[in-house]
Amino acid sequence: MLMHSRFSRGLCTFASFVGLAAPLGAQTIDDGIMLSQKQVLTGNFYSYDTWDEYWEGALKRTNGNIGTITTEVNTITANYGVFDRFNVIGMVPYVWTRASQGVLHGIDGFQDLTLAAKWNALEKPMTSYGTLRTIFVVAAGIPMTDYNTELLPLSIGLGTARVSWRGTVHYQATPGWFLTGSTAYTMRSKVQLDRPYFYTNDEFVMSDRVDMPNIFDYAGSAGFMKSNGFMTSVTFSQMRTLGGGDIRRQDMPFVSNRMNAFRAGGMVMYPIPKLESLAVNFALAHTFDGRNVGEATTITTGLQYTFNRSFTR
Amino acid sequence: MRSLRPTLCWLLLAALSLTPTTSLKAASTDAGAGNWRMIVLTGPTQIAVAAPGSTTGLDYQAELNAIKSAQARITPEQRKAIDYWSRGGVLRWNEILIGLVARYNLQPPPNVDNSYPVPDANNPFAEPQFPFANPPYAARAYSYVTVAQYDALKAAWYYKYLYNRPAPWRVDSSIQSLMPASDLPAYPSEDAVLSGVTAEMLKLLFPAAVDEITLKAAEQRQAAMLAGRATSTDLAAGLALGQAVATAFVARAGADGMRTAGGSPAIWGAMAAGAAARGEIPWKSMDVPARPPMLPLFGSVRAWMMTPADIVRERPGPPPSTSSELMARDVAEVRRYVDTGTREELAIANFWADGPSTPTPPGHWNFIAQPYVRKAEMSEVRAARTFALLNMALHDAAVGCWETKYFYFNPRPSHMDPELKSIIGLPNFPSYTSGHSTFSGAAAEVLSYVFPSGAAEFQRQASEASISRLYGGIHYRTDLEVGLAHGKRIGGYSVTFARTDGAD
Repeated sequence: MLMHSRFSRGLCTFASFVGLAAPLGAQTIDDGIMLSQKQVLTGNFYSYDTWDEYWEGALKRTNGNIGTITTEVNTITANYGVFDRFNVIGMVPYVWTRASQGVLHGIDGFQDLTLAAKWNALEKPMTSYGTLRTIFVVAAGIPMTDYNTELLPLSIGLGTARVSWRGTVHYQATPGWFLTGSTAYTMRSKVQLDRPYFYTNDEFVMSDRVDMPNIFDYAGSAGFMKSNGFMTSVTFSQMRTLGGGDIRRQDMPFVSNRMNAFRAGGMVMYPIPKLESLAVNFALAHTFDGRNVGEATTITTGLQYTFNRSFTR
Repeated sequence: MRSLRPTLCWLLLAALSLTPTTSLKAASTDAGAGNWRMIVLTGPTQIAVAAPGSTTGLDYQAELNAIKSAQARITPEQRKAIDYWSRGGVLRWNEILIGLVARYNLQPPPNVDNSYPVPDANNPFAEPQFPFANPPYAARAYSYVTVAQYDALKAAWYYKYLYNRPAPWRVDSSIQSLMPASDLPAYPSEDAVLSGVTAEMLKLLFPAAVDEITLKAAEQRQAAMLAGRATSTDLAAGLALGQAVATAFVARAGADGMRTAGGSPAIWGAMAAGAAARGEIPWKSMDVPARPPMLPLFGSVRAWMMTPADIVRERPGPPPSTSSELMARDVAEVRRYVDTGTREELAIANFWADGPSTPTPPGHWNFIAQPYVRKAEMSEVRAARTFALLNMALHDAAVGCWETKYFYFNPRPSHMDPELKSIIGLPNFPSYTSGHSTFSGAAAEVLSYVFPSGAAEFQRQASEASISRLYGGIHYRTDLEVGLAHGKRIGGYSVTFARTDGAD
């Protein structure tokens, strides 16, 4: 079986304030593909994400004090097949942000480490039609540094630790077509602010600790893969934050805002001829609808290398 | 050593009991507060409060019965309200007030033609919301509410000890006392005075919040009644007194110069031309689109403890010339902090940022004062005095600082160096001197006087608030140092008043 990464949701969706969806959408956490035992997949991905329009609550607008927000993310990933049906995944992103206008300083730094365990719980061969899989993933994210969460949208992350519980159903047809559906519930820890109080969701709170609403998301993709490792797919994802306030009129975003986003896009993975353990990735995604996020367009490129590829089934 | 301790304790207790007027003042009812110096009122009797009926009369007995039957069917919600207001009306209203400022502290968004709408006091429910509770607006609002509360409570204290009507639970032992007990006479009710004066002031300053303010004020009065602290006549007399005191303050506020503090394009154009004529780079708005300067004539708004001549006399000398070596060094220092600052410096910048959706720096200092007031177990009138002294100083600091800012019209660091970006929001008014520093210098001066044991901590906080603006990349070091000293001098005016107002 081939392995791939699906970047249509983008590692860098934080640029659209969607800090959480980023790691969830990353390499192989929400796809239906498993590494075989002892396989190691490593990758380096770079994404470039920009927006100039954003949703202030439900109101779509631009803002001269930021112009265009650009977020670049470089992520190193590793994926290891502990068993054929049990993989572990790790990701380390470094993020740079900047605004094209205004006087706000860009920020850069390591964002959140993501670790995930992926279990192919139920694999059901359907004779000549293909294979149906049900996969469960537990993923945890934790900020690697004490980065600034109080300068959104230029902050590089939301500073919350989180655990998500994901279920994925993957249908692999015999000629190479596939269809994947995935959904997750994410719980987030309180965020520690530097400031002693804050105003959000119609409430003034005299505390430096912010309750973070949980997140529900679902995603789907359809594509085709060849035995040499070539793969292409189209994808969509919907993230819903289950609470939190809107960005107020002419206010800055706040960590616990209700951030929703509908994104769609596509990706291609192309194995280098004669060097098929090495593959290049290209993905494009766009935020078509949202709340308290930027209308972001994300381009991602990446290189990934598989060790022990000959052991693949 | 150990054996000496109990002895020492007894000696201390004995000493305390011999000097109750000084050592125990904080926890006392401040029976003499009716004669403390007024600020806007001419004296405690400016507003008449008629003598109450006798506690043996039939009418009064009916009032007591009303409390008894209300207490008999008290709801969990009402108990919650009693617990809430038990912390003290002055403290609770201060918390509500800083929350209101945070809510209304948002700049108007630009119009499609790149102009900016002006919040309209006569149409407060429309967009943009009224008010834009920026630091000067907030400083003035805090001062009007707290000074009005203070004058109203002094008047209330005067009548309380003139008429000496006891609290309902003292008259009738079948009435429970559900709030911390004291010997304070009940007529007119201090809770009702506070509810009346505060609600009227808040309706003036935050008119769109009228519904919740009215409900909160009514809840405070009901809690006082349910707690066995006031009868309906105690409440009615207090409410009327509070509202009447507010009328005097509303009149002052209408004529204090705030209405014209926004200036006009001609006025701020002349300010820029003046700076240019002196050979200086004039301030310009770094907002996109450029935003009219924040309240350029706030320096002409009436102060509490300072005359217009005092404001001018205390104005610091000019900042370093925009073409000077010192200015270049100052700019380079700001650049260094924003590009290579530490996490600790960022935390300090964020802690004191007090930008949009916060209570502003004057609110931050109220927030700092709250636990001190709580811990000192002050009477309501003394708590009100503390916040009044603090907020008069903060308002006067706003007036003095704004007068200075627009007198010199000095540009911001990111104007002097276009590559210089700030790590907190950049306020939309001239740089010299720092508002944070002026506010903090004034606040620390007053709080150090009222709570001498906290003086070192207040001064540390003031210095930190001040330097936070350099860490954030929005002020030069000169702005901070000069602002802090200016604020200290301004705070001194409130302290001078406090020394002679009869309370200490």
